[in-house]
Amino acid sequence: MSFLEIRNLCKSFDTVSVINDFSIELVEQTLCCLVGPNGAGKTTTMDLVTGRQKPTSGQIIFCDDDITGLDEHEIARRGIGRKFQVPAVFRDLTVRQNLEVAYSRSTHPLKNLFRFRAPGFADKLDEVLSVTGLGGRLNIEAGILSHGETQWLEIGMVLMQNPRLLLLDEPVAGMTESEIDKTAEIFNNLKRTNSLVVVEHDMAFVRQIADVVTVMHMGSLLAQGPISEIEANERVREVYLGETGEA
Amino acid sequence: MAVGSFFTSFDLSAFINALILGISIASIWLIAALGLTIIYGAAGVINMAHGEFIMLGAYSSYMLQSFLGFPFVLCVPASFLIVALVGLVLERGLIRYLYKRPLDTLLATFGVSLVLMQGVRLIFGSDPKYLAVPPIFSSNIQFSFVNISVFRVVVLLVTLGIVTGLWALFYRTRFGVQVRAVMQDKEMAASFGVNADRVYMLTFALGAGLAGVAGSLFGVLNIVLPTMGASYVVQAFLVVVVGGGTLAGSVAAGGATGELQSIFAYFTNDTFARFLLFVLIVVFLRIRPQGLFAPSAKRR
Amino acid sequence: MNLYHRPGAQWLAYLVFYVVLAAVPFVVSDNFLLNQLSTYGVFAMLALSISLCWGFGGILNLGQGIPFGLGAYGMAMTMQMQSQDASNPMPPFMLNNSLDRLPLFWVPFWNTGVGITLALVVPTLFCAIFGWLMFRARVSGPFFAIMTLAMLSAWGTLILDIQPYTNGVNGITPPAPLKLGEIVVDPYSPAAYWTVLALLVLATVVAKLMTLSRFGLVVQSVRNDAERVRFLGYNVAGYETAIYTISGFFAAVAGCCWVMLTQYVSPAQFDTTFSLSMVIWAGIGGRMSLMGAILGAFLIQGAQSYLGDAFLNTWLLILGGFFILVVRFLPKGLIGLVESALGRLSSSTGGKTDGNGVSSIRSRLLQQPGE
Repeated sequence: MSFLEIRNLCKSFDTVSVINDFSIELVEQTLCCLVGPNGAGKTTTMDLVTGRQKPTSGQIIFCDDDITGLDEHEIARRGIGRKFQVPAVFRDLTVRQNLEVAYSRSTHPLKNLFRFRAPGFADKLDEVLSVTGLGGRLNIEAGILSHGETQWLEIGMVLMQNPRLLLLDEPVAGMTESEIDKTAEIFNNLKRTNSLVVVEHDMAFVRQIADVVTVMHMGSLLAQGPISEIEANERVREVYLGETGEA
Repeated sequence: MAVGSFFTSFDLSAFINALILGISIASIWLIAALGLTIIYGAAGVINMAHGEFIMLGAYSSYMLQSFLGFPFVLCVPASFLIVALVGLVLERGLIRYLYKRPLDTLLATFGVSLVLMQGVRLIFGSDPKYLAVPPIFSSNIQFSFVNISVFRVVVLLVTLGIVTGLWALFYRTRFGVQVRAVMQDKEMAASFGVNADRVYMLTFALGAGLAGVAGSLFGVLNIVLPTMGASYVVQAFLVVVVGGGTLAGSVAAGGATGELQSIFAYFTNDTFARFLLFVLIVVFLRIRPQGLFAPSAKRR
Repeated sequence: MNLYHRPGAQWLAYLVFYVVLAAVPFVVSDNFLLNQLSTYGVFAMLALSISLCWGFGGILNLGQGIPFGLGAYGMAMTMQMQSQDASNPMPPFMLNNSLDRLPLFWVPFWNTGVGITLALVVPTLFCAIFGWLMFRARVSGPFFAIMTLAMLSAWGTLILDIQPYTNGVNGITPPAPLKLGEIVVDPYSPAAYWTVLALLVLATVVAKLMTLSRFGLVVQSVRNDAERVRFLGYNVAGYETAIYTISGFFAAVAGCCWVMLTQYVSPAQFDTTFSLSMVIWAGIGGRMSLMGAILGAFLIQGAQSYLGDAFLNTWLLILGGFFILVVRFLPKGLIGLVESALGRLSSSTGGKTDGNGVSSIRSRLLQQPGE
């Protein structure tokens, strides 16, 4: 039973093809790492799944619904949360307000006009704080957080959304060793209840978290399987692992 | 005539005259918009003082002509230099601090426009001034049923000349390569040794200077007033918005909006045509918010 | 904690400010001055509407004269029709423009209730439609500002152009004050002053509550990073349209009040200078603070009338220069000076942060996100 299914996805800008007949299937409650050299189309794939860009052709099926070409907010409401490569938080707002905005159970502007509290927010906030540990920084403006903390905040925001599928673009970029370990721990807990797709370059981190690794190259699927299989794969070594020298 | 029978009041020769007038209107709007286009295109600055730069161009020509006795043909390039200098001072003194705050540049330049307009009004008063031109410019060309003033043809030719010059500058010179590099990615260009600061400064001065040229031409087409900028600036902005902020876009947008204005005006009248055109632009932006020819969006 | 950010202090400041304003008619007996102060109240409402849209929503609106002007025309038409009757159904200017019967779109204004409703609904509806078209297409930032400017000039020329129906450049001058049922609202009376003030207070409270609600929170997030908000499941265009439309509604109310006070409206209400001065009031006072914007309107309009028409040109020159300085050095406006002064005061007296994590309606109401 597939949870997220990408069928023959293609995306081209003018004449340049970025995603080229890319298909994968994702099972529920797994963590899939999306790897590949720069320009392989990882971020574009995330853009296409979350509606930031519209595919040239192909289909994206999420929980048996065709979500191809829907707007960003419609896809988000169906339960897909996203963390950006460059951390995107609301810098003028406090950490608490950031998390409050992310708790998007009711989204209609007019219904929110004079609504001052969201039911269940306090519990969810406690839960997310216990995971991300930003409790001491609640009333601080997000703009003055450190880089690592900003990453945590954005992960926390994605969690506040309560998504069924989390798409995380380089979540540990710029983090220290211990922060990375902690992130790995969080992700390993999360995959008991959620599904995750993580774009990552750090192969050590990938080894810590991945159930399955998908390798992209030139906009197409190169290989897919458990980490051990991928690391043994000759073609992967050629195009990717050989290049970065991290294997 | 087949078309003529469609509308009882349709008159083909008058309509062709309207089309030719449309080309003239297009050239006026385009020359008003050129400076704005390159400033927006290169530096992302919406210069609300652009209309007042046009006004300054007209007053520069007026001063040179009535106090120093410059012939009109020399007033035009001189206005370019004077207003370019004003633009340079403005960029160094104010705009360069605001590049990262697009809405604030818009507001600050609006403040500048207020200061320039009131300053000129205090110095020259609110009564209209006139620019004199050689007699040949003030005659009309009559060719069968087509009738157009020589000066409108001059404006059209100057516009074509400037567009060609700008194209050559941006695509055939080292400076042009630098400008386009800064437009694409400022940091990247800087790391390759392009002095982005200098590029911004020069494009701003160039844009201002072009407004000066437009102003000295408009001063002949119309009267010279402290408030004259306001009547051109909205059209100039629309040309930039519809065109998407590129040179080619502005040329296309200027042509299209000028012609449409003239055609609508033929069937209704000038003001109602303008209203129709604006509504049409709103609808157009709904379909194509990035304008006609927009540079591709940056990735996140 | 900085007293400026202290929620209780903010509500208290509003209370004191409005109590003082409400007491003015007991001190000022000059009805002309009172009328002038009432018009400042109208301008304050405009500044408030700009602060909502631009300060909180980040949507710079250079065409706020559209809803203001449309509201004003609606009110002027209503008041004009109060002076007509069945035997004499046409306003004099229409006869001068040789119309032979009342234009169809004037007919609803026979009824005062319908007329005032239209004066509020039409501009609001315009904002909703125009906003939705623009925001759905993701036109934003400077481009949106320019489109509002273009729309403003389009409306201005249109109203100027249809002279037989609007009296063109001369505008509409209703001969008698507004009658609401049996009550005549004398524009030079404390009653008119208090009416405007009551509406301003109402607008302030509604606006303040809105900025504190979840709606306000999302709107401020959109100002920070519209794209990020979409991925949280909010329809950003909906929020932008809503705040733009609400702000337009406030401007329409202000337009109605203005005609009630001045018995006059003309295409000058669609001048770019007027719409831009609203932005100047809010900008100089402090766009991020409703109070700042309101004070800005009072301050600048007050100074302008005090200096008189003789100095108008010099005054506009100074205002322009001052505005440049504020944009360059004081993005939070003059009220930002109060903020930093109080900030220094509280840090020198060893102010502490309040580290509460409790979410209650009371604490939400008493939080001020943007200030």
